[in-house]
Amino acid sequence: MTRNRVIGTSVKRREDPDLITGRGRYTDDLTRPGMLHLAIVRSPYAHAVVGRIDATRALEVPGVVAVYTAADLEASGIPGVVPTAWLLPDLKTPPHPLLAKDRVRYVGDGVALVVADSRYSARDGADLVEVDYEPLQGVSNPRKATEAGAPQLFDEAPGNIAFDWELGDAEATDRAFEGAATVAKVALRNNRLIPHAVEPRAALAEWDRSAGSVTIHMTSQNPHVHRLLMSLASLGLPEHKIRIVAPEVGGGFGSKIHHYPDEALAAWCAMQLDRPVKWTATRSETNMTDAHGRDHVTEAEIALDEDGRIVGLRANTWAAMGAYLSTFAPAVPTYLHGTLLSGQYAIPAIHVHVFGVFTSTTPVDAYRGAGRPEATYIVERLLDRAADETGLDAAEIRRRNFVPPDAFPFQTQVALAYDSGNYAPALDRALEMAGYDDLLAEQSRRRADGDGPLLGVGLSSYIEACGIAPSQVVGSLGAQAGLWESAKIRVHPTGSVTVYTGSSAHGQGHETTFSQIVAEKLGLDVDQVDVVHGDTREVQFGMGTYGSRSAAVGGSAIVTGLDKVIAKGRRIAAHMLEAATEDVVFEDGAFQVKGVPDRAKAWGEVVLAAYLAHDLPEEMEPGLEATSFYNPSNFTYPFGTHVAVVEIDRETGVVRLVRYVAVDDVGNVINPMIVDGQIHGGIAQGVGQALWEEAVYDDDGQLLTGTMLDYALPRAHNLPSYELDRTVTPCPHNPLGVKGVGEAGAIASPAAVVNAVVDALFHLGVRHLDMPLTPEKVWRAMKEGGRS
Amino acid sequence: MKIQGEHVFATPRPQVWEALMDPEVLARTIPGCKGLEAVGENRFQGALDIKVGPVQGRFQGTVDLSEIEPPEAYRLRLKGRGAQGFVDGDGQIRLADADDGGTVMHYEIDAKVGGRIASVGQRLLDSSARVITRQALEGLERQLPTAPEAAAGGEPSARPPAAAPSQVEFAGRFARGLLAEMVPPEKRPLVGAVVLGVGLIGALLLVRGCGGG
Repeated sequence: MTRNRVIGTSVKRREDPDLITGRGRYTDDLTRPGMLHLAIVRSPYAHAVVGRIDATRALEVPGVVAVYTAADLEASGIPGVVPTAWLLPDLKTPPHPLLAKDRVRYVGDGVALVVADSRYSARDGADLVEVDYEPLQGVSNPRKATEAGAPQLFDEAPGNIAFDWELGDAEATDRAFEGAATVAKVALRNNRLIPHAVEPRAALAEWDRSAGSVTIHMTSQNPHVHRLLMSLASLGLPEHKIRIVAPEVGGGFGSKIHHYPDEALAAWCAMQLDRPVKWTATRSETNMTDAHGRDHVTEAEIALDEDGRIVGLRANTWAAMGAYLSTFAPAVPTYLHGTLLSGQYAIPAIHVHVFGVFTSTTPVDAYRGAGRPEATYIVERLLDRAADETGLDAAEIRRRNFVPPDAFPFQTQVALAYDSGNYAPALDRALEMAGYDDLLAEQSRRRADGDGPLLGVGLSSYIEACGIAPSQVVGSLGAQAGLWESAKIRVHPTGSVTVYTGSSAHGQGHETTFSQIVAEKLGLDVDQVDVVHGDTREVQFGMGTYGSRSAAVGGSAIVTGLDKVIAKGRRIAAHMLEAATEDVVFEDGAFQVKGVPDRAKAWGEVVLAAYLAHDLPEEMEPGLEATSFYNPSNFTYPFGTHVAVVEIDRETGVVRLVRYVAVDDVGNVINPMIVDGQIHGGIAQGVGQALWEEAVYDDDGQLLTGTMLDYALPRAHNLPSYELDRTVTPCPHNPLGVKGVGEAGAIASPAAVVNAVVDALFHLGVRHLDMPLTPEKVWRAMKEGGRS
Repeated sequence: MKIQGEHVFATPRPQVWEALMDPEVLARTIPGCKGLEAVGENRFQGALDIKVGPVQGRFQGTVDLSEIEPPEAYRLRLKGRGAQGFVDGDGQIRLADADDGGTVMHYEIDAKVGGRIASVGQRLLDSSARVITRQALEGLERQLPTAPEAAAGGEPSARPPAAAPSQVEFAGRFARGLLAEMVPPEKRPLVGAVVLGVGLIGALLLVRGCGGG
């Protein structure tokens, strides 16, 4: 009997019936008897000295139970801070207190807590807490924040510089530029983004006074990481006295990785009042407190020889950290950004210099792609600029510089060792699907005839490093955590399986994908497999879901756990079959003596024998269960080429994305439908960044895009039907050969769209435009041409 | 945000000056003003109901006058706080004689606005500030005697006190404010009907926005 394969098929997501019929239970859906509600009083100033706080009027609001300030937190003796979990050399780490005490540093910084018996009373009370502020000058632009005379946010960080980080060989890069035939430059802004998960952050905290333990249901991408940081830095409770549960979580895109003050404050309030306390962010709170993404100011240049081969690349970046260092913030513009600046190309000399800069704005941290979209944007804009300067075609200059397929493993000049890759086929396929030559001919025709909207074609040949991450490597780079993943395989006596994974899902479909892995390996139906995640009491430990790591690291942990279970099963089967263990193989759901198919024991027979324990091999323990901790040996390196086709209205500057072709290589594919879905969502977010989205602050640090009225998210009608395909180059170092797909779309697409728009305007003298490419910006560029 | 401009009153300078120094007159003319009282020398305290798009709220605040040169100029510092955010302003008012016996007022105020009123109402902030300023000035004008009346000893109180403008009026003025920015004067009659429509839509939005915040 040969079973149908389960891996590689589009099994429907088992998560969806509940989610699409309203039966999903999110944190805010949960209520408890006697539950109180927390509202947080937030600073309207970007930068100010906090004076007297008067709660008199707030306490008069019917239903208000308590009002707390930083002084109360301090008096309770808790550690009371939110730490960063990634330490770079000489990183300045001024403390980030749970509530601001003397000074506020961004609009949204918490200054007081109001707890009441309804959320309305809590919010009414919060409106009536009177706080005296003495305003100080704020600063929102990361480059301006480093200039002389800029307001200083922390005494311990002169010039607002949190870190000054370099990678690559500066001298070799200088030499490359000196001898170059062509140098192309770009000065760009990678616009600041607001994550906008559908579900705002929320927490429900319950204090068990007798046990001295707290249970926090919350919107988390990584419950164990949250537990660890809550324990060590915020609440001071031992880890085993904190239980974090992530029920259904409605998206995160990185924003729910990070440890914020708010969830810990809800827990603290529950401990003070000995009643359950819930906090749910309003949408405006979400916009001003969820860690934002990107916000880089970059100057970059690329050097080429007379054959159009890249000889050097240089980038200087000022990366906003915001007012405090968020959980993984220091890693994002450094090890997730600087290391990616070789792109898909063999570049002999690279140097990158990054300043991490405090600004009086919402903290910035990982957001879908996290550093890699910024790197891809630099590299792919530079490739187009190099094509401009050399006169080479955009596809040709890429092909000419790809790392050749026989050069893998390929050591880049910026630390990473690409394990595998085959870049030209993805480019060729994308060009073929797009009809690249025909598009360029049509573009020329429209330019010549002055007829129809302007047409632009943009390429983005991206690479990412995901499957985050080899623990030893990230440890040596400053991570205060190992980035392995765990799995426990519990085989029940009748043969069905429950998998406990440390990879906590928030919309990705882990329960479906992971069931497919188990079903494939054990020869079961997917319905015989349950997947448990997102609860620190149920799951052994876990690092969580981000960095496109769930399949590559979490999935691999499941495979190594299954291997342990199968190994024990083989010993039991060998005992039952009176054969040598090494002669017993597990195939198609049965243990059989190699080459003798009728000498076999079915999966169920062996499992039952393990639990009956009537006749097990000597010294073998009963039962069948295995725990594994999988530590990847390298990052994985998905790649691909995306092609964006845009039309620009000649009168209004409105950009319409008319076609989008994406050819991705994410290694082996477990569930093609889920993979396509990830690509779709990623593209939408990247197109959003390119065309509409931007978190705008005024010079003082007031957030001007506080609502969806002013922060423009992409909508379905703005986007074309994507044309997708894949090449498959399996990852050579994990057992599934998978690489990860969660971020690919968001990494590739901003560069593809901007390249397309600049291409459309090229004949008018336009060589670069900063995102988002709003009609006004494009219209001005059309009018001003080369002066833009 | 900078609020600046000039306004011509048909009233001689001393009377304009006097009105500007009278908190009762000002309270009557500033839209949304809920009382203004002197709490010290050249210091006033009061409350102002402000509505910007979907954000509305009461701001408690103080106005400090300094560098007073009657009847010519003064500097004002304004601090307002409310649940919806803050408004801090610093500016100068200057009066000059107009050719026809009236008065030209120049005003220039640098205002910082923060909190919900800035993050939610941003798009409408500039226009709203201009409308409120214009309404205040027009309200003041109605309180003042014209130059001939003043010469004849006319009293400001002889005129009916200005009522706070209604929301529909506000919306209409808001729309006219937008129009003034967007359409050259010679084309304005052509779009008069549009203004009325926009005003009504604006009023609906404002009314709907009453519960917002």
